[in-house]
Amino acid sequence: MSAFQLPLASFGGAIEFIFTPQSSNVTGGEKVGGFDQVVELTLKQLEVTLLALALALVVALPLGLYLGHKGKGELLLVGLANAGRAIPELALIALVAAVIGVGLLNLTPALAVLGIPPILTNAFVGVRQVDQATIDAARGMGMSELEIIRKVELPLALPTLMGGVRLAMIAIVATATIAPLAGVESLGDFILNESVYGSDGVLAGAILIALLALALEGALALLQRRLTSDGLKLKTS
Amino acid sequence: MSERPQASPVRYEEATKRYGKAAEPAVDRLTLEVPAGEICVLVGPSGCGKTTAMKMVNRTVEISSGDVLIGGASVRDRSPAQLRREIGYVIQQVGLFPHRTVSENIGTVPQLLGWEKERTSARAEELLALIGLDPELGDRYPAQLSGGQQQRVGVARALAADPLVMLMDEPFGAIDPINRERLQNEFLRLQAEIRKTVLFVTHDIDEAIKMGDRIAVMREGGRLEQYATPAELLMAPATEFVEDFVGADRALKRLALIRVRDIDLWEAPLAFVGQATAEVRAKLAAPDVEVPYPLLVDGERRPLGWLSERDLTAEIVPREPDSPLGPVLELEDVMRDALADLLQGQSQYAAVVDGEGRIAGVLSVEIISELLGSPGAKSEERPATERPHG
Amino acid sequence: MGDVALLAAAGEVGGDFFKERDSDSLPCQAQPDHLFCFDWAQENIDRYGTPTLQHFEIVALSLLFGFAVAFALALLAHRNRWLRPPLLAGTGVLYTIPSVAFFFLLLPITGRGRDTAIIVLAAYTLQIIYRNTMVGLANVPDAAKTAARGMGMSERQVLWRIELPLAVPEIVAGLRIASLSTMAIATFAVFIAREGLGTQIYGQGNLTFPTSIIIAAAIVIAMALAIDAILLSVQRLLTPWRRARPA
Repeated sequence: MSAFQLPLASFGGAIEFIFTPQSSNVTGGEKVGGFDQVVELTLKQLEVTLLALALALVVALPLGLYLGHKGKGELLLVGLANAGRAIPELALIALVAAVIGVGLLNLTPALAVLGIPPILTNAFVGVRQVDQATIDAARGMGMSELEIIRKVELPLALPTLMGGVRLAMIAIVATATIAPLAGVESLGDFILNESVYGSDGVLAGAILIALLALALEGALALLQRRLTSDGLKLKTS
Repeated sequence: MSERPQASPVRYEEATKRYGKAAEPAVDRLTLEVPAGEICVLVGPSGCGKTTAMKMVNRTVEISSGDVLIGGASVRDRSPAQLRREIGYVIQQVGLFPHRTVSENIGTVPQLLGWEKERTSARAEELLALIGLDPELGDRYPAQLSGGQQQRVGVARALAADPLVMLMDEPFGAIDPINRERLQNEFLRLQAEIRKTVLFVTHDIDEAIKMGDRIAVMREGGRLEQYATPAELLMAPATEFVEDFVGADRALKRLALIRVRDIDLWEAPLAFVGQATAEVRAKLAAPDVEVPYPLLVDGERRPLGWLSERDLTAEIVPREPDSPLGPVLELEDVMRDALADLLQGQSQYAAVVDGEGRIAGVLSVEIISELLGSPGAKSEERPATERPHG
Repeated sequence: MGDVALLAAAGEVGGDFFKERDSDSLPCQAQPDHLFCFDWAQENIDRYGTPTLQHFEIVALSLLFGFAVAFALALLAHRNRWLRPPLLAGTGVLYTIPSVAFFFLLLPITGRGRDTAIIVLAAYTLQIIYRNTMVGLANVPDAAKTAARGMGMSERQVLWRIELPLAVPEIVAGLRIASLSTMAIATFAVFIAREGLGTQIYGQGNLTFPTSIIIAAAIVIAMALAIDAILLSVQRLLTPWRRARPA
């Protein structure tokens, strides 16, 4: 076969894998692949991803907004964002699996740790960028500190903040791909077990994971557009 | 200066600029000639095309029709980049390169022209001295300079390669009034030495009158309303637009252009202490006397006061005159200030003294109004560099 | 124990790994609750030499290619505005796709091995370097560009003498971020090539043990910080005017 035909054939096989259960060498007669299994694993990956993202938000968002409002900890947070990027995800998952334990309950916090730095830093930076004059005016009108954070700083910091959320999401969903190493099922199953799912399965897994990540990113992008006030949109265009 | 300064005349020949499908051209058949070594100020309201017209000279704006000639050669003869390296360009925001030192900034065009390093740095030093900055500043970065210093470096940078023509686009517009005046004066002093052909754009008529040897007043649609010397402009505005633009106080503006010594002063009969009053009275009675009061002066001809009728009833001229001296003006005084002093002193006449304090003549409000009314005032026109400034 | 069975069934971890768990007479490294075995570390530190070198090579090559491509794209987009939205979107897509999946998407085309890893890692850096370069160029003061053109610099001279030097801080910032991420993600290379420090974390289909993982992670982080510090020094060297204090 020519150089092009071979890859095309593989992709064809992968597409088949996604929709129709195939027979496998390893599981002794039981079929693998097919739409149902695909959906099941996709949902599993989605589950751990969203849980971790939610946990990261719960921890990082209030803290980031608060620190940004107060203006404290700038040096630390900037360093934190970079440090977060340097964490080798594979090592993190492996350590969690080996030391803390396997399973959703153990893995989710580990994934959340990956998502905290971008959210924390971007929340901080987003709030710091809000014009001081606007905040002074709000204070002068009698808003409490909490109201200022909620009604003034948060909406104005939203674009930057959402940028951080998207970064967190990308990191989390990418690492959730190897969640099987820590006992949590995900689409990564297809990739990590060629002997079970075959090369078609591996490729199918890769395609599905890529699509899942792109879909999530697209969804967040839409959410960002929805949540950003029109006045802000005018300013940045 | 290390080399003989060079300057070329600039001529606009029906130069026109049209943008797309706009109904009116931005510059409409502009025709004027700027003699070499003179400052021509383009002035007018926003949108009149003055900046566009200036930019035609270095082809920052391309000419739609007509031509602009520098020293007789069309600006279109060469590539824009080559042309611009021989024209100094100063803009309002200066645009110094933040990542280069002051010396490196100044040496930009010499470097583009391929000068050797020593020649470039020597030239940078020379120019720093010329614009009045400490040579030490050469190694600093623009961020370390004040706004006024940056502006001056901008001018030095434009002069570095000894250009034929200088283009200045509202160069002092972003500066506070006090420093602006200082920079204007410094530039005029500089120009007295280097005598470049300068095209200067401003929206401020006072700046135009102060800086320009010739002024081109333009209006919306890129039309030239009048091209004349400041005195001509103030005395004989060509159209109603020019008259409005120059302002209702154009008479006073003219007074800012001349000094007391530029006009013929009246003479008062002089009286010395101890002189016989009969002699003084005789002088007073002379038919061609201009000032009807005698001025008491000392042995050095320095004025002491004015003599009244009562003083003259004595035998000899007294030491202490009846009337005080009042305002005393100097030959070097700007006429506008002299008028202010006269009016404030509430006196009709003021003694004018020279550098040593000796009487040189008498100035009166009448003389000034005669001056303002006479076309003969044209002959006292001086180039911008010699006009009164700080 | 239920999780363990699951793992065993899925073939993640070898079955005998668990048999040995129960015995106490085993060496430190075989006991999973021992976090760090210093003795073992001292004895076996040599085995990290080659993987570290491989890891560094992969990262260096990825950064080199990524920078070269991203920089070239940014220069193109700088002159041709219409390229900007598609390039931003395109590099964004490459960033969003998880590296592990990306490895296997390329598998049919480039096969296993280091090259596939480098292609994917380089693609991952494109967005940050491209975007930072564009931002750096956009932040160049207009007055400086106007003055430069008015003084007789050609467009190319303006780009290389004025715009790019002033964009260096942003560009290097992007490079620093890219180097940190690439250093960390290069551990995933183990899935597509038997190279890099990932091999000390996940060797031959099994997770290794905590000490080994910790050492590998520590080396990765140390290298990341070192590269970051070097790039920061390079930036400081290239931008003396930023250090100048206003008079």
